[in-house]
Amino acid sequence: MGWREELEHSTPVSRRTFLKTTAAAAAVAAVGSARIPSVMAQERVTTLDYYTLFHSGDAAAMERIVRLFNTENRAVKLNLLQGQWAEYYAQLFAAVGSGNAPHVGICHSSRVMDVYRALTPLEESRAGNLLDAAGIRAPQYTKSVWDAGVFEGKRYLVPLDTHMFGMWYNKDLFRRAGLDPDKPPESREDFERAADAIKTRTGQFAFHPAEDALPRKLRRAWEYLFWGGGGSLLTPDGKRAAFNDERGLRALDYLVGMIHRRGWNAPGTDGFKQFAAGQLGMLIAGNWYFPTAKAAGVNFGFHYVPKFFEKPTTWGDSHNLVIPRQRPERASDDVLVAAAKAIKWINERSSIWGIYGGHIPAFLPAQRAKDLQESETWQIALSKFAYMANQGWLHYPLVHPLAPRVHAAVEPHIQEAYNGRLTPKDALTRAEAEVNRVLIG
Amino acid sequence: MKRRYGRTVEIALFILPFAAFWILFRLGPVLYGFFISLYRWDPLGDAKFIGARNYLNLARDPRFWNALVNTLEFAAIAIPLIVGIGLVLALFIFAGRKRRVTTWLEAGFFFPYLLTVSVVGLIWRWLLDPDFGVVLITLRDMGISPPVFLNEPRWAIPAIALATAWWLAGYRMLLFRAALEDIPDEFYEAARIDGASGPRIFFSIVVPLLRPAILFALVLTTISGFIVFGQVLIMTAGGPGRASEVLAMYLYRFGFEYLEMGQAAAVGMVLFLIILGLTMVSFRWLGYESSL
Amino acid sequence: MTASKLGSRLLVAVVAALALLWVAPIAWMFTTGIKPAPEIFALPPTWIPQRPTLDHVREVLSRWPFLRWALNSVVVAGATTVLSVLVSVPAAYAFSRLRWRGRDAIFLVFLSSMLIPLEVNVIPLYFLMNRLHLLNTYPAVFLPMIGMPIGIFLLRQFYINIPGELDDAARVDGCGNLRILWHVILPLSRPALAALVIYMFTFAWNEFFWSMIALSSPQMFTLPIGLRALQGAYDIDYGVLMAGAALAVLPTLMLFLFLRGSIIRGITMTAHK
Repeated sequence: MGWREELEHSTPVSRRTFLKTTAAAAAVAAVGSARIPSVMAQERVTTLDYYTLFHSGDAAAMERIVRLFNTENRAVKLNLLQGQWAEYYAQLFAAVGSGNAPHVGICHSSRVMDVYRALTPLEESRAGNLLDAAGIRAPQYTKSVWDAGVFEGKRYLVPLDTHMFGMWYNKDLFRRAGLDPDKPPESREDFERAADAIKTRTGQFAFHPAEDALPRKLRRAWEYLFWGGGGSLLTPDGKRAAFNDERGLRALDYLVGMIHRRGWNAPGTDGFKQFAAGQLGMLIAGNWYFPTAKAAGVNFGFHYVPKFFEKPTTWGDSHNLVIPRQRPERASDDVLVAAAKAIKWINERSSIWGIYGGHIPAFLPAQRAKDLQESETWQIALSKFAYMANQGWLHYPLVHPLAPRVHAAVEPHIQEAYNGRLTPKDALTRAEAEVNRVLIG
Repeated sequence: MKRRYGRTVEIALFILPFAAFWILFRLGPVLYGFFISLYRWDPLGDAKFIGARNYLNLARDPRFWNALVNTLEFAAIAIPLIVGIGLVLALFIFAGRKRRVTTWLEAGFFFPYLLTVSVVGLIWRWLLDPDFGVVLITLRDMGISPPVFLNEPRWAIPAIALATAWWLAGYRMLLFRAALEDIPDEFYEAARIDGASGPRIFFSIVVPLLRPAILFALVLTTISGFIVFGQVLIMTAGGPGRASEVLAMYLYRFGFEYLEMGQAAAVGMVLFLIILGLTMVSFRWLGYESSL
Repeated sequence: MTASKLGSRLLVAVVAALALLWVAPIAWMFTTGIKPAPEIFALPPTWIPQRPTLDHVREVLSRWPFLRWALNSVVVAGATTVLSVLVSVPAAYAFSRLRWRGRDAIFLVFLSSMLIPLEVNVIPLYFLMNRLHLLNTYPAVFLPMIGMPIGIFLLRQFYINIPGELDDAARVDGCGNLRILWHVILPLSRPALAALVIYMFTFAWNEFFWSMIALSSPQMFTLPIGLRALQGAYDIDYGVLMAGAALAVLPTLMLFLFLRGSIIRGITMTAHK
């Protein structure tokens, strides 16, 4: 089982799940192939290319949905291509630029500002208002996510899910440390007391702030602490760095102190691995960790992120379904409408996305669907994730045309502070200088 | 006259298939890359001519200089390791060439060269894992407290260079062994009759005669050092911080993570010029006339 | 026993020990791949798996299109090799067996690009392949590897040393260049061809940077790119990673054990200057 995912939101499925999927696929293929000739004879089949950046458990969950789509729809088929996370957007742009764009794609909410140019404005496409044509209606979606799908007054995104960090804790270690396993800490004081107790009484690692030791994860750890104090990465006009102040410093100092002063963990370690091995008391990690935690056989609980500073805050983002910009010769108006309808359909089945991908569906009827609500995923973890989202604790990463470069400018310095090679003050000063250079360039 | 014309056509046809591929996929891309590097490139097609701005951006970007320094550091460590280990192994193999077991030993030293870079990166990442890597555990058992190689800015590049030497030294060994075999036996015998010692034979006969082979190995290794990528990506992804971010990785990130294709193309041009320069210098050293 | 004989035995023993150390990482990869998870992280490490398991192998083969990756690698390396040989043979012939004006100058131009690696061209190649709508296909990966001057260089070195009387005799019999190439030169240059085939195949089999950029869907990955995807998904789950790496190495290892002599001879030829 994989403990750490390079791709953000992936969850390895268990082998049993996989076998079930395979068996279902085989059955579908058998039934499907028997039907195809008669269908082919009668109607023309429209095939829509659908590119995603999912892999691993997420990819398997999306495959499941697409397989269902392809068995239930005769006139429209989805051709699913799941890409690599790191190059996904570059490839999407390249495909749009060369007139080879997929008909349906995925976009993070936080990327709308630089990716929108490659997308079809859904309410004013050349085929008219695609939302109306497909029956996609705002009230059926989580409001905050729906609202984030607009750029400069035009809607480009249809929400698929929300995903975020929460706190996983080891109930056995809590018990051994003399803590109540049914009362995980919510305030900073309780949290620190719990961490110290785990450290001194069990001799295990007390806490890991961000999944593993990858630079971008450490940056997220610092960010949720920073945001919780009301900070923001850039000035409101997006032209300068705004994090090198007391709030930024307090957050980074607290993060570094966890490792170097309080000794709750060590630099460079992997929290996924530690938690799965039963050596870690508390872990801040994404909802996609559920299947792995379960498979590891750890007696774990799940709770909200503690309130470290003024406001409880967690890092999160959303996947959205989009229609990349199409040339008329590749996609007629009918095809655009078919793509919008496919998006609607995927959302309608997105309880599967919740159960197997571990994400909170943004389509409310799917979120409230019985199969999801009764699933273990929901009862143990997703319900609490949904609570955090509804309370407004979730904070999106920077939305800015240069966001990937701003992040890349911050990350190495945060990592060096975390490793104890730079003081928090120096790290922020260097990061600030580099971010400003990126923003000017 | 007609015959001559036919002969020209025939020669052209012999060369054309190769030349077509060479022009389309070797020469063409270099020119195209230069063109790309003069633009601010919108992936959706509206390119804006900005002259040398991408190059100026590189010159002003400390991250670029960091990547260049890291690349040079990698080259400075990896090249002597690869060539030196290759030479020592070749001498061993050459000395034992009359024994049958030697061909197996040679095969053992050579085999890592056949692994793909991903496998090499994965194996060494595992060997050097901070918690469970067998190298660190062994060193600790020997009473040495080793650095956590891949999470230490000072050690990341040397560790990657070491893994690279393990991977490539076997190829250099074959090259040197072949060159050693080309030295006629009479040379050794004459020297031995003159009463020359082993080290003297090595320095006064073997080294001068191996000079071309060593230079050639240096050139090839230097060039592969400048484009090091796969093992860095897999072992450290450029970290910790940016301690092992090399030029090829800088190119990759600007091109495919930040979508700054123009600036990435400029890095490609810089690499091209460095390597072309090295090629020219090496031609002079080695005397390309000899190969004509 | 004489002193020198003893010395020579000692030398062999030392070199053998070094060779064992040299292949130890590969052995370590294989044993890790068949150890159950707790044993992988056991202290002290065990060299021989106490309870070998095929779980990791099964995980790799069932969850990932691993065999497809192997197939893709074979297709890409095979196409690169075959096409390289096809275009290099006649060109090398024209550059070595025929005399014509400008021959050496043109050859020098090709030669000067011999050491320019594919990597410096990835951005323009990406643009080019995108325009040709070839991204994420086999040709995108193998086309740029074909016009490599090493091919003509290698063959030409060999052709030059074939005595000229042979084709003179054939010419007297009325043979044209194509027939001379086919009936005289090719049969004589088998070792050089073998060397080129081995060189191109290993080169294409191992190509990483460009393949990683050109290929986007897991179904199209070659083995090196697939292994990188495995690392992305498992990262520190070394059992699965080593099982995947071992599976990728296995065919190479088998081939090497069978063809050790000719592979080493072939590689030595390419190394020969």
